[in-house]
Amino acid sequence: MSGQSFRLASGGLIDRTRALAFRFDGKSYEGHAGDTLASALLANGVRLVGRSFKYHRPRGILSAGPEEPNALVELRTGARREPNTRATVVELFDGLEAASQNRWPSLAFDLLSLNGLVSPALVAGFYYKTFMWPAAFWEKLYEPLIRRAAGLGRAAGAEDPDHYEKAFAFCDLLVVGGGPAGLAAALAAGRSGTRVILCDEDFRLGGRLLAEKREIDGKPAAEWLAATLAELESIPEVRIMPRTTVFGLYDHGIYGAVERVGDHLPEPAPYQPRQRGWRIHARRAILAAGALERPIVFPGNDTPGVMLAGAARAYVNRYGVLPGREAVLFTAGDDGWATAHAITAAGGKVAAIVDTRKDADPARKALAEQLGARLFAGGVIAHARGGRQLDGVTIRDASGATTALACDLLAVSNGWNPTLHLTSHQNGKPAWDETLQCFVPGTLPAGLTVAGSAAGRFTLAQALDDGARLGREAAVDAGLIPAGAGPVPATDPETTALTPVWRVKGAKGKAFVDYQNDVTDKDVELAAREGFRPVEHLKRYTTLGMATDQGKTSNLGGLAIMAEQTGRTIPQTGTTTFRPPYTPVAIGALAGHHRGKDFRPTRLAPTHDWSREQGAVFIEAGQWLRAQYYPKPGENDWLTTVNREVLAVRAGVGICDVSTLGKIDIQGTDAAEFLERVYINGWKALPVGKARYGLMLREDGFVMDDGTTSRLGERHFLMTTTTANAGKVMQHLEFCHQVLWPDLDIQMVSVSEQWAQVAVAGPKARETLRGVVDSTHDISNEAFPYLAARAITVGGGIPARLFRISFSGELAYELAVPADYGDAMMRALTRAGEPFGITPYGTEALGVMRIEKGHVAGNELNGQTTARDLGLGKMMSTKKDFIGRLMVGRQALIEKDRPSFVGFRPIDSAQRLRAGAHFIGIGKAAVMENDEGYMTSVAYSPHLKHWMGLGLIRNGAGRIGERVRAYDPVRNGDVVVEICSPVFVDPEGTHLHG
Amino acid sequence: MAETATSWDPRGAWAGIAQPGSFGAKGEAGVFAIMLEGFGLASVIAEPDTTAALSQTVEALLGLTLPPTPRIARGPAHDIVWAGPDQWLLRTASRNGFTGLLSELSAHAAVSEQSDARAALRLSGPRARDVLAKGVMLDLHPTAFAIGDVALTNVAYVGAHLWRLDDAADGPVFEILLPRSMAGSFWSWFVASAREFGCRVASGRG
Repeated sequence: MSGQSFRLASGGLIDRTRALAFRFDGKSYEGHAGDTLASALLANGVRLVGRSFKYHRPRGILSAGPEEPNALVELRTGARREPNTRATVVELFDGLEAASQNRWPSLAFDLLSLNGLVSPALVAGFYYKTFMWPAAFWEKLYEPLIRRAAGLGRAAGAEDPDHYEKAFAFCDLLVVGGGPAGLAAALAAGRSGTRVILCDEDFRLGGRLLAEKREIDGKPAAEWLAATLAELESIPEVRIMPRTTVFGLYDHGIYGAVERVGDHLPEPAPYQPRQRGWRIHARRAILAAGALERPIVFPGNDTPGVMLAGAARAYVNRYGVLPGREAVLFTAGDDGWATAHAITAAGGKVAAIVDTRKDADPARKALAEQLGARLFAGGVIAHARGGRQLDGVTIRDASGATTALACDLLAVSNGWNPTLHLTSHQNGKPAWDETLQCFVPGTLPAGLTVAGSAAGRFTLAQALDDGARLGREAAVDAGLIPAGAGPVPATDPETTALTPVWRVKGAKGKAFVDYQNDVTDKDVELAAREGFRPVEHLKRYTTLGMATDQGKTSNLGGLAIMAEQTGRTIPQTGTTTFRPPYTPVAIGALAGHHRGKDFRPTRLAPTHDWSREQGAVFIEAGQWLRAQYYPKPGENDWLTTVNREVLAVRAGVGICDVSTLGKIDIQGTDAAEFLERVYINGWKALPVGKARYGLMLREDGFVMDDGTTSRLGERHFLMTTTTANAGKVMQHLEFCHQVLWPDLDIQMVSVSEQWAQVAVAGPKARETLRGVVDSTHDISNEAFPYLAARAITVGGGIPARLFRISFSGELAYELAVPADYGDAMMRALTRAGEPFGITPYGTEALGVMRIEKGHVAGNELNGQTTARDLGLGKMMSTKKDFIGRLMVGRQALIEKDRPSFVGFRPIDSAQRLRAGAHFIGIGKAAVMENDEGYMTSVAYSPHLKHWMGLGLIRNGAGRIGERVRAYDPVRNGDVVVEICSPVFVDPEGTHLHG
Repeated sequence: MAETATSWDPRGAWAGIAQPGSFGAKGEAGVFAIMLEGFGLASVIAEPDTTAALSQTVEALLGLTLPPTPRIARGPAHDIVWAGPDQWLLRTASRNGFTGLLSELSAHAAVSEQSDARAALRLSGPRARDVLAKGVMLDLHPTAFAIGDVALTNVAYVGAHLWRLDDAADGPVFEILLPRSMAGSFWSWFVASAREFGCRVASGRG
């Protein structure tokens, strides 16, 4: 206990039997369960906890809550290091390690505090004025310099080892804040059977009741608190969520909250997340978030030892810590006096009470006498001094005379601002209350009401009354009969009279408005002089309120000084509004489980495990993982593998998974008519048992997707789409059916997941299939010709579908079986093809072979090409209407010079081609005006033994044989190529019909 | 080729993804997950103006009424689950005779078999709702999502068909169907979400 010299012998809500060891800046200390890091530091007499953002001024602990602008520390070490953590809300745990930030080399001796000496150069707008010129200096000199000098903590720089999660909750009533108003509301609603969620950012419920010595129903408030919590816990439909900050209000009664599940532990408990981000849907909500105390702007008001009066009270009453032995109180109202009481009751001395009100009534005089404090009515603090720790203040009394007093604590009381942040998240503007001298909630978002201090109703009696009333209203709103309205409990008397003082003028030294961003009253004056008077300009010019605390303690002060400078009232000057989040939220809590590999779902084909067994290298294709190639031992280069796979297919047989293609089952008497309208080519004449290649356009005439569609029955088709466009095509078809032609009798459903499908390609494809397809099915060339598509069976009666279609240009089939048999199908094919050297191939070999055959794929169907561009113009039927038909006739789309689809081969066959290279005439400069098109796809053909390319070039089809440059400045490529037919291998198509 | 299997062994949607056993917090499991296997599943879409005829056929064949709203109709061997306006999923515990049943229904509806298209999970236990709350963006409170209610929604960015069955002694019972290809991603979310409650996993018949 030796170190805790400021800890009271008794009292407070800490557990003195549980000592917790912690370290701050490498030094060991001890605190107790129930402490925050701030209260434990104060108990140990640690006052200096950080250096300020810009001037590196010594800073201490200003508050006891979430508004803290000064006591920002780096919490934990290593990958869990968390910068800018407010010591006032960090729940102490055994082994906690924290470090001060923004100091070098040490907190006590900071070299960069020299910034304070050159501070005239660092006033508002200094970025804009000082570093404008020369421009080249910005990146190299100014920015690195500023970044080192100004700033806060350091991010961990390593991957966060913890898990985060998201969760969704629903309730009739969300109560934000577990103080007296919130508890009364939850109780009134909960007793009626309302589904209630009560959130409080603190680890202990009770709000200000924890920090005050108050009475409810003639008994200590702690008794009411204990009884209320016990009852709430016993109600099944009431969910109490401590350590949970409701940080945002969104549309339709949706609230964002973050639950700090494991932040109060050295590391999260086994199987527990660190934090949980909640999305709460609330029929109704009550904001009972209390209020935040306001500082006063005077020189030296940032000296460690200057503290908000309500915070000082909280440290005494809740944490059993005396924040100073020799205190001075600087108050603008009655509330501050409670702090003088608390300090005296705890054995501290209050040397003076400086009450800004001139008319010291006799009761206050008597009270000051009773407390043994000198009373300065109508006085102000002209200056607080001490550097690293407060050692005294200069008081200027009503007559203007000054008195210097020694003290180690200056408690400042200037009234409270309602914590109304959530009320303005939907653009609600707070309203200025002249009587209360604060902003109160203005127009409220639908479903939200405000209780107690958050509504500017600052007394305990009002809090209890509001809570009970609004809680019952919520029950009625939920369609319930509210439980009997018992009498609102009586409270001991209190007064909240206040005449706020925004700043003390006429004194020398820095007086801070925004502690965290080091904005002084002089900065606000400068902004006023230079014309940055609207509140939004003030904010941006001075950075007032733009730090991580979002101006909780500074916005109103800045506004008041601007009002004074411009001779306007505060409401004339502007309002302060707030955006989410109320306090900083870790991005992990928003991402939840969805990071890394879980960022989005990964889709695996039914053949995936088989491919993995074969040693496949996978590639992402949209959400899918597809086998890219199957390296064999000794193949150290992907091209070696791909060449082997291509040659094996064209010489024997290969198999490649195509389960990822979209498959849409289309049935109905109008199914053929439907296809006529969505595809450019004809479908009505397609016989049952046949497949056909189809191309569909968007409404604007550009190609949307392609694929084969098979007629399985008179009124039953199976459409396939590309892997990439499966979802988009399904959406498009649904739109066409539901919106354009609801009268058509068609029924559509995706069957993509039902079927495992494999391409079997190569001259030995039929012989391989013969070993898999049940012998009752004749698959000879005559019985099962090119483009046949029929239901068959495999493996002794397993239903399957066989399609004789080819992407490789070889004799090829696609075999589909129910997905459960996908794995077995690959094994059966492997067995059957063994005599022919069957080879699994991936998307790379697939790509090589389609380029060898000049088939278009995703690179060409890129949303900028028409059927005509791709050499498929003749497919467009002139005998029917189809989507895109009219727009494809637009002038620009039918111009002769439009880039069109052709092949390219390098003149020097040793040269490698690059996709993305642009075509430029030989001898012409590589400038935009000479650009004639670009290469869409390239591959190395193991048959031709050189690279080949497909691409779009101006009037391509009319320029076969011409030479151009393929210019690729990104990879230093400049290759002369010859324009050729896009079909490089087997142009007669003899393989296909083999 | 190292491959030696000789028969066409079916492989369910959970194969290689999840195994029976336990994971997460020790002690009494808060969540029970049954990987459903071997069920028959088909989408049934009514043709224009044939809903009544389809309804009669279903009633005659299965003794079940087609639910017109997001509900599940349960029979001893068959369930009919609402799947959209004039669309349903027909589910059977076993695939025996399923093909025959489907062809009978084909007279009045577009029927497409989907038995292999979905990974299915039955979730129960006292903390089942708490797990689902981490992914399902719907209110599953007993007063909001009653026994027999059905939802088409998504969980962890995976499309899901969810419904609630009769309560068990230890809490609510949900079933969830997912696209087969995304079963692995779903499972990753499920394990991360259920482990704090402790989970027991088993295989079972639909």
